[in-house]
Amino acid sequence: MKIAVLMKQTFDTETKISLDAKGQIDSTGVNYVVNPYCEFAVEEALRIKERLGAGEVVVLSIGSEQVESALRTCLAMGADRGVLVNDPALEGGDEYTTAQVLAKALQKEDYDIILAGFQAVDDGSGQVGPRIAELLNIPQVTIVTKLELADGKAVATREIDDGVELIEVPLPALFTAQQGLAEPRYPSMKGIMQSKKKPIDRLTLADLGVSAEGVGANGAKVSIAALSLPAPRQAGKIVGGEPAEAAVELVKLLRTEAKII
Amino acid sequence: MDFSLPEEYVELKKMVRRFTENEIMPLENKVIEREASRGFKDDPVLLPEEEAVLKQKTKDLGLWGIEVPEEFGGQGLGALAKIVVLEELKRSIVPFTLPPDAPNLNFLQECCNKEQYEKYLLPYAKGDISSCLAMTEPNAGSDAAAIQTKAEFKNGKWVINGTKMFISFAPKVDFFIVTTVTDREKGKKGGFTAFLLDKGTPGLRVAKNVNTIGEMLAYEIVLEDVTVGPEQVLGEVGNAFIPLQNRFGVRRLEIAAWCCGFSDRLIKMMIDQANIRKTFGKPLADRQSVQWWIADSTMELHACRLMLYHAAWKVDQGIKDVRMEAAMLKVYATEMLTKIADRAIQVHGGYGLSKEMPIEFIYRLARITRIIEGPSEIHRWVIAREGLKNEKPYNTFGINF
Repeated sequence: MKIAVLMKQTFDTETKISLDAKGQIDSTGVNYVVNPYCEFAVEEALRIKERLGAGEVVVLSIGSEQVESALRTCLAMGADRGVLVNDPALEGGDEYTTAQVLAKALQKEDYDIILAGFQAVDDGSGQVGPRIAELLNIPQVTIVTKLELADGKAVATREIDDGVELIEVPLPALFTAQQGLAEPRYPSMKGIMQSKKKPIDRLTLADLGVSAEGVGANGAKVSIAALSLPAPRQAGKIVGGEPAEAAVELVKLLRTEAKII
Repeated sequence: MDFSLPEEYVELKKMVRRFTENEIMPLENKVIEREASRGFKDDPVLLPEEEAVLKQKTKDLGLWGIEVPEEFGGQGLGALAKIVVLEELKRSIVPFTLPPDAPNLNFLQECCNKEQYEKYLLPYAKGDISSCLAMTEPNAGSDAAAIQTKAEFKNGKWVINGTKMFISFAPKVDFFIVTTVTDREKGKKGGFTAFLLDKGTPGLRVAKNVNTIGEMLAYEIVLEDVTVGPEQVLGEVGNAFIPLQNRFGVRRLEIAAWCCGFSDRLIKMMIDQANIRKTFGKPLADRQSVQWWIADSTMELHACRLMLYHAAWKVDQGIKDVRMEAAMLKVYATEMLTKIADRAIQVHGGYGLSKEMPIEFIYRLARITRIIEGPSEIHRWVIAREGLKNEKPYNTFGINF
């Protein structure tokens, strides 16, 4: 069983986001981590390999050399090798171009399962996984919380409103991970020491046979017009007095002031 | 000169930080509660079942025996690796330590003969059995040469009599390393002998617990006609002093690592509080006193960490004698923690004093660190003596002017 995991490096979820003078996100001093949803995907991949007692887990990412540390974290968790697509022409890309490029990278090898986080905690668009499945023309199940494999097929449990849905698909297929799929392990001491020796293949657009015209800022279908920070939270209001009167007052305020009922 | 921390140590630190925050810190409220309600009893603040879980998890992660040489089943990664791990682990007040409790390892490694190696060192290095050092006595602490516990050789056996005081972990350990006087005349030069005494050896008993400031528990041990064969002598008869000194060096680096860990946490707490808390319409962060507390603490921690990493690096280069570095660190780190804990309380006001937060716990613990493993005054004396004797300031890089 050969498993690919698509991984995005994101800001640490505790990062306080601020904008610079040009209105762009200021990344000075920011701590980068493996996108938590991608971490669930890596963990699931490792568990599948461990259950089967054989196989290979390959983690793929796109970005600058800075992404290496996130790939190393995945290798320290137990993944076998990494693939990093790094090319200056990729700068300014969007979900569409990212999917185009990663699909090409995935096509270089035959994977039985492709796992990804269902969204990244930074832009939260949740598009790259599904787009890749379309490009590769394979089945996909998104927002998966449980994955069972048997006889070349997979049964994926996914969250839907008021319940869960069980979907059976033939392999190869792509699945995107939701919290609950697999609680990520801590990389072990041994894993950390070995991760440095594990290979990370560097691929450029030329290696993938992709032209610079259609990727990065050139190929992006979406452009960001402006970024703004959420308005600071207003101080709360405490409704005092006798409980019965306070409840009446509260309902009144929710209707007239907050206008939510 | 390369000051960068190896990439894998950075990963290791991150992993232990995460482990400490997710698995250890959630136990803190319980630890505070148990410590507060313990009174004069010696109930554990970390329950055996909680400790067992942490032990298993850290074992699975490969965190045991980081500095233990590979030939003893350890990882052989050395002092710096151990220090960066301890620093993270000791951001939490939960008294959890990684087996083996390392300092005795150095002593054993240096002194064990073949039989002792099999019986004590190997299982100890693997974390299967634990030990404690029984040296301090009611009338001998820093002045270790003043110990009274006597060992006499009679009819082919050693007979030991005496009292040991402030001995940590005593009821829990599998064996004790006990220092004795075997020749009063010879004193430091050939008069002190160490023994390996198994738990349950007739005549050896834990007399009582001595509760102290902070969470630390100590015990009094009484030795009455404890009779053992020559095979229980650790190292050479009469020469326990030098290897003992080396053992202390390592322990002092570890204490400095604890102090760095706690200080790092306290500074983070001060920063958060300063940013969040408002007084008279302004955040504490705008107050110069608060800024200075944060600034001074940051500078001190920076200096201490550099001293610590450097000393550990020195150990990893195979330089055994780090007495000067260890002495300087012991004083600097423990006094730093004392100051930072005090400032952290000041920044937090009433909450800093309360048991709602771990700050007062660390404050009390900080006081202990300036006494155990040699009080500050002894280490200052060691540092001054070196300079006075050589008629020049100490140079850590060994440059002779």
